[in-house]
Amino acid sequence: MAAIETEKLRREFKGGIVAVDGVDLSVEEGEVFGFLGPNGAGKTTTVRMLTTLLRPTSGRARVAGFDVAREQHAVRRSIGVALQEAGLDALASGRELLELQGRLFGMSAAEAKSRAVDLLELVGLTDAADRQVKTYSGGMKRRLDLASALVHGPRILFLDEPTEGLDPASRQAVWAEVQRLNRQMGMTVFLTTHYLEEADRLAGRLAIIDHGRIVAEGTPESLKAAIGSDVVTVAVNREGLEVARSLLANTDGLRDIQADDAGLTLFVENGTQAVAQVVRLLDSAGVPVGPVAVSRPSLDEVFLKATGSRLEGAESAVGGAQNGNR
Amino acid sequence: MATGETAVLARQGLPHWHFGRQTLRAMGLLAAREVRLAVRTPAYLVPNLIVPIFFYFVTLGSLEQFASQSGLANFEGFLLPMALLFAVQGGSAGLNMVTDIESGYFDKLLLTPASRIALLVGAMTADFFRIMMQALIVLFVALATGLNFETGLPGAVALILLASSFGLAYSGIGFAIALKTGNAQATQSMWFLTMPLMFMTSLFAPKEALADWLEVAATVNPMTYILDGMRALSMRGWVLEDIGPAMLAIACLGTFSMSLAFLALRGRLR
Repeated sequence: MAAIETEKLRREFKGGIVAVDGVDLSVEEGEVFGFLGPNGAGKTTTVRMLTTLLRPTSGRARVAGFDVAREQHAVRRSIGVALQEAGLDALASGRELLELQGRLFGMSAAEAKSRAVDLLELVGLTDAADRQVKTYSGGMKRRLDLASALVHGPRILFLDEPTEGLDPASRQAVWAEVQRLNRQMGMTVFLTTHYLEEADRLAGRLAIIDHGRIVAEGTPESLKAAIGSDVVTVAVNREGLEVARSLLANTDGLRDIQADDAGLTLFVENGTQAVAQVVRLLDSAGVPVGPVAVSRPSLDEVFLKATGSRLEGAESAVGGAQNGNR
Repeated sequence: MATGETAVLARQGLPHWHFGRQTLRAMGLLAAREVRLAVRTPAYLVPNLIVPIFFYFVTLGSLEQFASQSGLANFEGFLLPMALLFAVQGGSAGLNMVTDIESGYFDKLLLTPASRIALLVGAMTADFFRIMMQALIVLFVALATGLNFETGLPGAVALILLASSFGLAYSGIGFAIALKTGNAQATQSMWFLTMPLMFMTSLFAPKEALADWLEVAATVNPMTYILDGMRALSMRGWVLEDIGPAMLAIACLGTFSMSLAFLALRGRLR
């Protein structure tokens, strides 16, 4: 049985704005599934529908085998959710927050107390357990939010941009915890992110959503392999972009060419051979050229090819480089 | 990160008859949380006490002699309901809910199996106790400074219950605005919306002494009946012709405001 299954899932808001437009997804039990997309693509709306916070306009979705529109209670008991904004009660202490969460999930006072102690230890917040949440750092809040999503031992964990705004060390800690939950406890994880390295490292399979539709789906490796070509990136300034584009359209073995603010990205059969030709063509036409690089396709290129634009803010989650796979 | 999880799994598939008990339990837990919030944010409560006590003493000081000359014997009893109305309709109803909505914590609560009704009624229950405490403090201050209460202890209890019930009915509007807008400023503006309702009553003088237009406004204003019912208890005795309409007015206001609040909650969940 699929842990998450959607069929033509659609959400339309007032004014006819269609945020999610017929999404079909299937996430297997025990899988870490990455959900990528630019801002406004429909990621969060999809997550809110799957977690019962928003009703679909049409289509169907089942989570843990339960219908999200008709069996909301059963869905909520099966899932843990850490949304993009860590939703916490600033005036409660970390311990109070987890205990209340546990009790709202039906635990006795003693069970909730014991569970809070375990989770605070798990996320490294034992020393801060009795401080009000408003005194926590951003990383501590994220960790507490993750702990609160785990209070009731969910089968499926939804993480919406879980490492947004975290320092590298806190990100690594969250990644390690997600991997541990998945490997040791068999938890299914549905992860939205715009950090490509995060998706590459954590997700066994991923989907890319753009303008409310799924535009690519598969394992990171299969998506990269599907490009079937080398990637040549050429830094060209804005003024020379169109001239360069028309010149390079004649590159040998060219399969696709995409332009963005940084320059041009060429998908070619043989990158090494293409580099020399690219430089020659641009130089002969007098177009100023910046750095030229050749690489195997990364998720950044997968995203570019699927959506026609690079992922906004898609820097490496660890080092801040353009893409960790290059 | 250390391990040591006990992985207490949630109870799956509770029988249907457990729903009522679970809802009550969730209401209690959420009400207790709201009380804790109120204790930790005294800034919300202090103005709700200072304003009514200030109005009570200032009005008493400026008009007591005039009232006495006009034949109004128990002016403290006349003013107490005014102070109580100010105390129970301070503008903090729904503010915690707005804070939860803005911070995303409301979503976190919505993601639990707690009934949606419990989220709203839990907050309202806590508000009812907050309002009651405020009304009690105002009553004690008035008693300590010479108020002669006409109906004794049972009347005082009835008065506090009447005032608190009005406060609860009134708070429904605050919760409705909070849920509809998710905006703190809009929620606080409730105070300004209802100020005219407060003053177009027999607040400072008996209805018969008001100008014609104000008398008409006071006659159609439910606040007038609530005020008259409270005044019966504080200065006239168990006058059912006054107390009955007050209870009816509170029930009507409550039905209206709670309907608005539940509709707003439903709208937020769509």
